[in-house]
Amino acid sequence: MQRDKFFKEIENVRHPNETLIKTHCAYCGMQCGMNLRVNTQTNKIVGVEPRYDWPVNVGKMCPKGVTAYQQTNHDDRILKPLIRDDASLKGTTKGFREASWDEAYDLVASKFKELQDQYGKDSLSVFSGVSMTNEKCYLTGKFARVAMQTRYIDYNGRFCMSSAAGGFLRSFGVDRGSTLPWTDIHETDCLFIAGSNTAECHPTSMFRVWHVQERGGYLIVADPRETPIARRADVHLDLRPGTDLALANGILNLLIQNGYADEEFVNDHTNGFEETKELVKEFTPEYTSELTGVSPEKIIRAAEIYGKAPNAIVMFARGIEQQHKGVDNVSAYTNMALVTGKIGRPKAGVATFTGQGNGQGGREHGQKSDLLPGYRKLTNPKHVEEVCQVWGITPEEMPQPGVSAYEMFELMEEKTIRGLYLLCSNPAVSAPNQNFVRKALKGLDFMVCSDFYLSESAEYADVILPSVTWSEDEGTVTNLEGRIIKINKAQEPIGESKPDWQIQVELAEKLGRGKYFSHLKTASDVADEFRLASKGGYADYYGATWDKIDKQDGVFWPCRDENDPGTPHMFLDKKFYHPDGKAKICALPYRPPAEEPNEEYPLRLTTGRVVFHYLSGNQTRRIQFLRDMCPEPYVEVHPETAAKYHIEHEERVRLFSRRGEAVYKVKITEAIRKDTVFVPYHFGHEQSINLLTIPALDPISRMPEFKACAAQIEKLEMKKVQ
Amino acid sequence: MKKRLYLELENCIGCRSCLAACTQCGGHEQRNRNYVYDVNPFVNRQTMPLMCLHCVNPACARSCPAQAIQIHETGAVLSALVEKCIGCQNCTIACPYGIPKFDTEQNLMYKCDMCIDRSKDGIPPMCASVCPSNTIQWLSDEEIEAKQRQFNLNNGKWVTSMPYLEGETNVKVNLPGILQGVTKLF
Ligand code: SF4
Ligand code: SF4
Ligand code: SF4
Repeated sequence: MQRDKFFKEIENVRHPNETLIKTHCAYCGMQCGMNLRVNTQTNKIVGVEPRYDWPVNVGKMCPKGVTAYQQTNHDDRILKPLIRDDASLKGTTKGFREASWDEAYDLVASKFKELQDQYGKDSLSVFSGVSMTNEKCYLTGKFARVAMQTRYIDYNGRFCMSSAAGGFLRSFGVDRGSTLPWTDIHETDCLFIAGSNTAECHPTSMFRVWHVQERGGYLIVADPRETPIARRADVHLDLRPGTDLALANGILNLLIQNGYADEEFVNDHTNGFEETKELVKEFTPEYTSELTGVSPEKIIRAAEIYGKAPNAIVMFARGIEQQHKGVDNVSAYTNMALVTGKIGRPKAGVATFTGQGNGQGGREHGQKSDLLPGYRKLTNPKHVEEVCQVWGITPEEMPQPGVSAYEMFELMEEKTIRGLYLLCSNPAVSAPNQNFVRKALKGLDFMVCSDFYLSESAEYADVILPSVTWSEDEGTVTNLEGRIIKINKAQEPIGESKPDWQIQVELAEKLGRGKYFSHLKTASDVADEFRLASKGGYADYYGATWDKIDKQDGVFWPCRDENDPGTPHMFLDKKFYHPDGKAKICALPYRPPAEEPNEEYPLRLTTGRVVFHYLSGNQTRRIQFLRDMCPEPYVEVHPETAAKYHIEHEERVRLFSRRGEAVYKVKITEAIRKDTVFVPYHFGHEQSINLLTIPALDPISRMPEFKACAAQIEKLEMKKVQ
Repeated sequence: MKKRLYLELENCIGCRSCLAACTQCGGHEQRNRNYVYDVNPFVNRQTMPLMCLHCVNPACARSCPAQAIQIHETGAVLSALVEKCIGCQNCTIACPYGIPKFDTEQNLMYKCDMCIDRSKDGIPPMCASVCPSNTIQWLSDEEIEAKQRQFNLNNGKWVTSMPYLEGETNVKVNLPGILQGVTKLF
């Protein structure tokens, strides 16, 4: 049991006729521990009780976590498979009829076969997500390649964690979201947080963040908006959206110029320093200020604090990653830690705030177009060989790498991909350039969607398979620390819903590939095969048994065998994962955002989350409390900008970009840059801000640039004459 | 060891988790009893929670003609008793902080009772349990005294309501500004 100063021995309240099932939240990467209250007479989930003894959040939860239990027995749950015979109704909620599982499976199998017979194996695709257990993520990768035999599989992590993954792989040779456990955060001396609205997106980190300041430590926040965390920052670097790379280079330059580089560490454990030093020379405080819009004084002060701090942690999130240079941004901020040697020891390191519950685990085990379990590569024959042995197929049968999430929609549009199996994701809200994406979905010959609510994306499906919520299945997820934890089942699936792993095992049978799946009868069977498939990879989960997870309060990967306790701190031996054991300091030339403002589109549009909703909002928009708190999107505008457009608070305006438009209520606040507007992205249909966002992709991670594009506001209402 | 609710308003991030959790204590019938305010919404994102401060000599109870508002031995000022409350709403006017809420359908006042089924056994109320920013804490008197020492301002004044705002309260409140007194590490 890891007990820090926030840990308090508290006994849980037990209500009459109720039992508590310990588990974790359904939503973000914090994966807060919680207890679900289950009525012992009805065997239904009825509420939540804090899990005070979970070391990461010690009972704390954000409002999403507190109300998460309301998803399970919600009136909107899909209870039976649904079939829509009239394809002309695609894109609406109309025309679905209830069907038996057999009829639904048979229809899916025959349509898949029809398409593959006519257009080849690769005419089918899988689009999945990482808000589900490692077991499901693993099996989805196997299902695509072994049961559907297609190369086209990718997942919503491309809109979430792929830039962090790409940056860490380049800098460290390994992609574990945090180099240290979250219980180190409050003990460090300086937090440098870039592009993370921590208080709204990972709220249960906040008691640790504030404690750094309470101890006299420093908080530096880089964000175009004065978010609730930036409000209290010692230095708020209020940069223009999409200019992080310049800021990171500018700070690195100052760190080097002012003697904060740790020469011994740089020499012994890194490559690339000299070249990087040369490149960042150009980024003087004045030049950096010109590019970023942050005053030179603030840049100098931030560098001084980070440089002086005995221990410091650099943290970041989607703000820097959802750019068409997201990977460069990650490596550039990571450079700060590598050059100053503030890494590879407790209380110092680098971390990204993982967005989705299993954003870490879900990207490691083969849902990505080019990856296989254990972070193995499809392009590496040895890796393919290893996985084939577990799967019982030959390397010749293993499909080639496919394409990234957004590029799959392009292939749908041009009819290379004709069929889609969508699960655990809602791209009709979350993908950029919605007008294009929705057209691509509508044009599919056949689409099957597995979900527990009828999402905006499910509106494009021919068949909907009812899956279960997180509380009706068990398995592991990997939280934002890299800690593998256990989700427990609190009630039986309602109606005829089934967990996705079971759906895949049964559907594989119908596709004539049953022999590769039929031995998987329980989630724990899938877990055993999954651990084996990861064995020997970078992300080795072999030693992370459910039993050990329970005993140790989670297991940090890598965990290679039964006796390995796991790895809470990475790089304590100063060994990185590149072949020569060194980390890479990266020389990264600055590039502006793909679309810069001009006269026609003078505003910078950026998007993000609010504390009350999660991702596409398919889950949280249905929870009464969360909907009451934030019923609709809005556009945040600085009062001076609002005055220029003669628009007022709560007035509805038209916001548009080169790709699309939407109407939003104005929310006036000084807590945003004058050249920037912000809209939360959790809303669907005509309210979706992704109608406007740009599909400019990062060359490595294929992450779209959600965080910066050019837009314009048009006033709709004429002021009433009194 | 007796513990009290302690509020450090500077920390609040406006997440309203305290409101969501209020309904989860079992005795609260899915209605929350506290408040979160945007302090200056057009300017910044400072927010603050406000809940019953459990006055030592509560104006709400004094104003009640039916003795419907009982004071628990822990000092918690309870929600109106169903059988006694006559629905006159005196308490909602008497409370200096506007805490008691009124259910017109049931003709009944309801308010924060410090999750009495939890707090009477030393278990923190739901709001203090979940608050992600440690704005709402559940502390012993010794811990609260340590806070008082820690947040001493250079100018010799407290940035705190301690020992009380209007009349003495069981809940202790620290107003925004606490960080001004912190000595930096370097
Ligand atoms: S959404 Fe994230 S921060 Fe909120 S309770 Fe769930 S895991 Fe914790
Ligand atoms: S839970 Fe805490 S941080 Fe959130 S609104 Fe309430 S007091 Fe503020
Ligand atoms: S704060 Fe208001 S409701 Fe609470 S005890 Fe005092 S007078 Fe009564």
